[in-house]
Amino acid sequence: MIKFEQVSKTYPGGQQALRKVDFHIEPGEMAFLTGHSGAGKSTLLKLISIMERPTVGKVLINGHDLSCIQRKQIAYIRRDIGMIFQSHQLLMDKSVFDNVALPLIIEGYSHKETAKRVHAALEMVGLSDKVKNLPVMLSGGEQQRVGIARAVVNKPPLLLADEPTGNLDPKLSMEIIRLFEDFNQAGVSVFIATHDLGLIARMKYRTLTLKQGQMITDGLTDEFQSDDLYV
Amino acid sequence: MSILFKGRVQGAQISQISTYQRFLMFFVSHFRQALGSLGELWRSKAASLMTIGVLGLSITLPSTLYVMVKNAENVSSGWEQASQISLFLKENASQGDIDQLLKRIQLWPEIDAIDYISADQALDEFKQLSGFGDAIAYLDKNPLPNVILVTPTSRHSSPEAARLLLDKLRDEREVDIGKLDVEWLERLHALLDVVKDLVTVIALLLFLAVVLIIGNTIRLNILSKKDEILVMKLVGATDAFIQRPFMYTGFWYGFLGGLLAWIAVILLLWWMSSSINVVSELYQKSFNLTGADFSTFLWMLGLSVFLGLTGSLLSVRRHVREIEPK
Repeated sequence: MIKFEQVSKTYPGGQQALRKVDFHIEPGEMAFLTGHSGAGKSTLLKLISIMERPTVGKVLINGHDLSCIQRKQIAYIRRDIGMIFQSHQLLMDKSVFDNVALPLIIEGYSHKETAKRVHAALEMVGLSDKVKNLPVMLSGGEQQRVGIARAVVNKPPLLLADEPTGNLDPKLSMEIIRLFEDFNQAGVSVFIATHDLGLIARMKYRTLTLKQGQMITDGLTDEFQSDDLYV
Repeated sequence: MSILFKGRVQGAQISQISTYQRFLMFFVSHFRQALGSLGELWRSKAASLMTIGVLGLSITLPSTLYVMVKNAENVSSGWEQASQISLFLKENASQGDIDQLLKRIQLWPEIDAIDYISADQALDEFKQLSGFGDAIAYLDKNPLPNVILVTPTSRHSSPEAARLLLDKLRDEREVDIGKLDVEWLERLHALLDVVKDLVTVIALLLFLAVVLIIGNTIRLNILSKKDEILVMKLVGATDAFIQRPFMYTGFWYGFLGGLLAWIAVILLLWWMSSSINVVSELYQKSFNLTGADFSTFLWMLGLSVFLGLTGSLLSVRRHVREIEPK
């Protein structure tokens, strides 16, 4: 589903964010990406959503080389990728319904279809009763779940999450991860960047670790030594 | 149609709706965005009114000047239609020759009407009108020539055609002098041309200013919605989709500005009409201001909308593209 081939990214100014990163996430897989802040997690996700382009190497999604995607096509690529952000990226002056409906309105769904899907997505994340609220009236965990509902409302085959549990306590974090597991079971590939090692340690998923731009471990969580990071 | 995932249907395709319905949805969504933009203008009334005011007044000035010039042209062409050629006949032409001449030129296709004023008739008229009646009685001989007043047909009453006709009439044996008084008309026309050029230049400068003002207003709109645009781009909105509401804002600025300009022009003309009437009475002409009619209104509205759209297009092209999630 996501394939990196010898990818390096150097920002203008010479800061090298990624060095020869190689990995492949299969369709239907759920994987974690971890590392210190500044290790290159965000850069890696930005390469997938084409917010940045690699300096060297290839990024492929479902076998398509992203370097062949033109600027005009990027919007259509993003419709295939559900993205979840630490800062939620919600429209604060719009209701929960309008926020979740945004991807559908952009794609030109009819009013009826939109309403149906938004309600289904909000039900999945357990916010059916908050449809008309503004995001500011919700707690941090609820806001994050609105973000997740928006990411899955058009049923993308791939979900990317950047620190989705960043500001949440362990219990809420676990709830969010359970949600991702549900989507994964429905066949969606899920790729989550997080530095919450405690959270990863409790689960048995493949984990990729970045350190100073290099991929240092790639394996299942139970083989994974969190100490590795701090050597 | 998904680029990455073959067979994954995106958007409206999934619900299998007909082309007609999709066509309809397209207009429905445009209509909604248009109304949304209008609502946005309503929410920031003061700022919107100022922009609309600038646009409206910038169009009012050249429009009013245009209406005035057009009317001046109408008036002068009215005078031109009435232009006559005066033929002063030779003293030695006999009455028979004159009758022959009258019969001949009456048949010319260029001539609409002729009016023969004999020397005696002219003298009588002069006696009555001038008040020199008694003094004229002392003249031993009528000093006035026989005169033919020739009115050209409307097709031949332009200065050039009338001049050609005059040359032809001069060639007649009995004609001594022919006179066509159009020089002052030509001067007026030249003057009107200068004024017209001036109006055009003023109009172009003002229109350019309008485009820049609208462009800048839309730019500020875009920047104030930067966060919203970022989120929309993250969830897959194309530039065109993001641009549309701003284009509609430009459209409404243009439309409302055009309406305002129309009202302003009518008020200005109404206000000026009394002073114009005084002038036209001095020239003994009944003169109605025309030109502020429905087609002018549509032209003004169209122009105004065009300026609004151009301004927003320039801005939107640059600035929506610039905002990219990082």
